Amino acid sequence: MKLMLTIAWRNILRHRGKSLVIGAILFTGAFLMTVGNGVITGMAAGVETNIVNGFMGDVVLVSDAQKSDNILLPLMGSSIEPITSYKRIKPILAAQPYIRHALPVGKNLAMMLDEKTDTPGFAYLIGADFEEYRKMFPDNFKVTEGRYPRPGERAMLFPTFARGEFYNFYNIWFLPEGGAVVKEHLSKEALAAGAALPVSSSVVMMGMTSGINSTNDLRFPIKGIVEYKALNQIFGHFCLVDIESYRECLGYFTAADMAAQVPKEEKKLLALEGADLDSMFGGEDMMVSGAGAAREKKKAAPSGAAKTAEDGTYNAVFIKLNPGATYKRALASLNAALTQGQAGVRAVSWNKASGPIGSMAVIIKVALFLFVTLLFCVAVIIIVNTLTMAAIERTAEIGMMRAIGAHKTFIAGMFLGETAILSAVFGGFGITAGVVAVRVIPLFRITTTNDILQILYGGNFFHPLLSLSGVALTVLQLLAVTVAAALYPMRVAGGITPLEAIARD
Amino acid sequence: MNIIEIKDLKKDYPLGNTIVPALRGVDLSVAEGDFMSIIGPSGSGKTTLLNVIGCIDFATHGSVKVGGLEITALDDRRVTDIRLHKIGFIFQTFNLIPVLNVIENIEFPLLLMKRTAAEARKRASQLAEEVGLNDHVRHRPAELSGGQRQRVAIARALVTNPDIVLADEPTANLDSVTGASILELMKRMNEIEKTTFIFSTHDANVLKYARRIVKIKDGLIEGAPAAA
Ligand SMILES: Nc1ncnc2c1ncn2[C@@H]1O[C@H](COP(=O)(O)OP(=O)(O)OP(=O)(O)O)[C@@H](O)[C@H]1O
Ligand SMILES: [Mg+2]
Repeated sequence: MKLMLTIAWRNILRHRGKSLVIGAILFTGAFLMTVGNGVITGMAAGVETNIVNGFMGDVVLVSDAQKSDNILLPLMGSSIEPITSYKRIKPILAAQPYIRHALPVGKNLAMMLDEKTDTPGFAYLIGADFEEYRKMFPDNFKVTEGRYPRPGERAMLFPTFARGEFYNFYNIWFLPEGGAVVKEHLSKEALAAGAALPVSSSVVMMGMTSGINSTNDLRFPIKGIVEYKALNQIFGHFCLVDIESYRECLGYFTAADMAAQVPKEEKKLLALEGADLDSMFGGEDMMVSGAGAAREKKKAAPSGAAKTAEDGTYNAVFIKLNPGATYKRALASLNAALTQGQAGVRAVSWNKASGPIGSMAVIIKVALFLFVTLLFCVAVIIIVNTLTMAAIERTAEIGMMRAIGAHKTFIAGMFLGETAILSAVFGGFGITAGVVAVRVIPLFRITTTNDILQILYGGNFFHPLLSLSGVALTVLQLLAVTVAAALYPMRVAGGITPLEAIARD
Repeated sequence: MNIIEIKDLKKDYPLGNTIVPALRGVDLSVAEGDFMSIIGPSGSGKTTLLNVIGCIDFATHGSVKVGGLEITALDDRRVTDIRLHKIGFIFQTFNLIPVLNVIENIEFPLLLMKRTAAEARKRASQLAEEVGLNDHVRHRPAELSGGQRQRVAIARALVTNPDIVLADEPTANLDSVTGASILELMKRMNEIEKTTFIFSTHDANVLKYARRIVKIKDGLIEGAPAAA
């Protein structure tokens, strides 16, 4: 064995040129694979962090009636099925020790109505309790203009990305109530309009659901302009609104509707329990909306009605797990509990719920894997070619070794050894260089404002990550290359007979 | 005792549609410890005969026994083992492994035989000394003269204590003085190690070293098939 490797090693040195060519290919392949894996792992981690911490949590509950798990950006025209059983879901969630936070939300597409334009624009609405939302996602966006709404306030938070888009579409620049144009925040197009810039601080939206026909037009007062910390291109389509307005807009049962239906005795009970929640509806400028009917009902409802906000309709429940929780097990036991409790909902993972964005990392990973595999295939062909030529060139030498007693396996081993050493040395260097690159790149804190790159970066700065499995995959690939590349030359070399060597002279 | 027993050995080479009979019924016995020369004109079958004895080539017909073992019907593994354990080779050229130095070349067969490194090195050093290459053990073949290379080959051929050493025209690529010294060395090694030597030549000058001379012509041994 040692003898075999000694000869292999010295033959590598003897044929330095060839060895370097092969080595360079192996180095490149190993390097690209390692760095690529780092970039993708970083991207996947970034996308995960941003979606999980900034948008929907680890797990999402959707209605059993909901066909597709993908609720982040579902196909146009397909709406998210309503969840009307949150009252039943809540205690189930509370009983799961691995759940840290749960946030019921409304989430659907809304059409923006504008008198001047025939073609409507669209935005996604997220309806939630503002206070609860902030608890769940404390820092996923920052309010750049205006303010964060008070608890229970009728309000909309408008994202910067959508503001730019809508300006191009409607020629209206949205401002928070009482806010002035901030020049630095204007988009290029808006800036061009100069002093004549048309502004508005409310927007009329009409809910879009495939099932219910009774959606309403609702005027939302814009209280703040928000900028998501990452993935603005995606999240920037979502306007955060209070849940009651959301329900009115979508034509869902509101808390007020429910309160009107709740029998007196029960209401009293609820009032006792929910006394501390009075503050929710204590805000001064609640119900700025034009939904008069709803307001009437709500006025009629006692303060206990606040408790019944959770009786109303939602579309999803965003759930964050405790840091230590085992993801798959948590998901499985949550689903079991939900089924048992006949909650009418199922739990899906964040990456299923985020559809193509969640699986983008996997797709890119496969693409990279295929690319590097292709590169390695070329490497194999070149190595096979080079080594086979080497075997033929060394016929006399090999035949002589065979004549003095070297077995076929020894000769074959010598060639395998040569390839293995080249793979180990150059591939090893490639992986090491890749690891170093992956470690060093984040130190530069390369940032981008490009949206596509931001998705690739998985956040606001380029942060490739090393995964052990990525490195292991590269090592496995190298191993496969080594064996594949050595196989044919091994056969050729092993097939050389002593007679052939002698026939040469 | 005869270390080699050959009976009615025939070897045909196919050449296109025809068949070239290289050996046409050779009978030969070689005594243990002999120092024998095979001579004959070019194309007479010297190399073919040595190759068949050395298990490098295979008989078309007949029986070849080396050390009492019939070698004409063995598979590659067995044949390789015989080459490793029982036979030593000295070729005209392409003798040594270019990437190994003198001492490594000499010990190469011992390492193939899975002897320990220390044991192999010890025996190789001994032979390096016997062939007079003490001062050159770290040299690579490319750094040696033709004569020195043949000395290495002799040492390597003997290192395993084989039954026979086969040398096909070992002096053909050397000048006459060097050639003579190589044959003298072979003869001395034959005396020290008691190994049977068979070498081929068409150079009448080297015949004086041989203890026994076998003449071959057109694939047949000429004269009486001597026996020990
Ligand atoms: N591989 C082969 N294919 C066809 N014919 C062969 C082959 N090897 C040898 N021969 C033929 O067999 C005969 C004997 O050849 P061999 O090499 O044994 O002669 P030789 O006595 O060693 O000659 P030389 O002194 O030139 O080396 C020759 O006629 C040769 O042409
Ligand atoms: Mg010959």
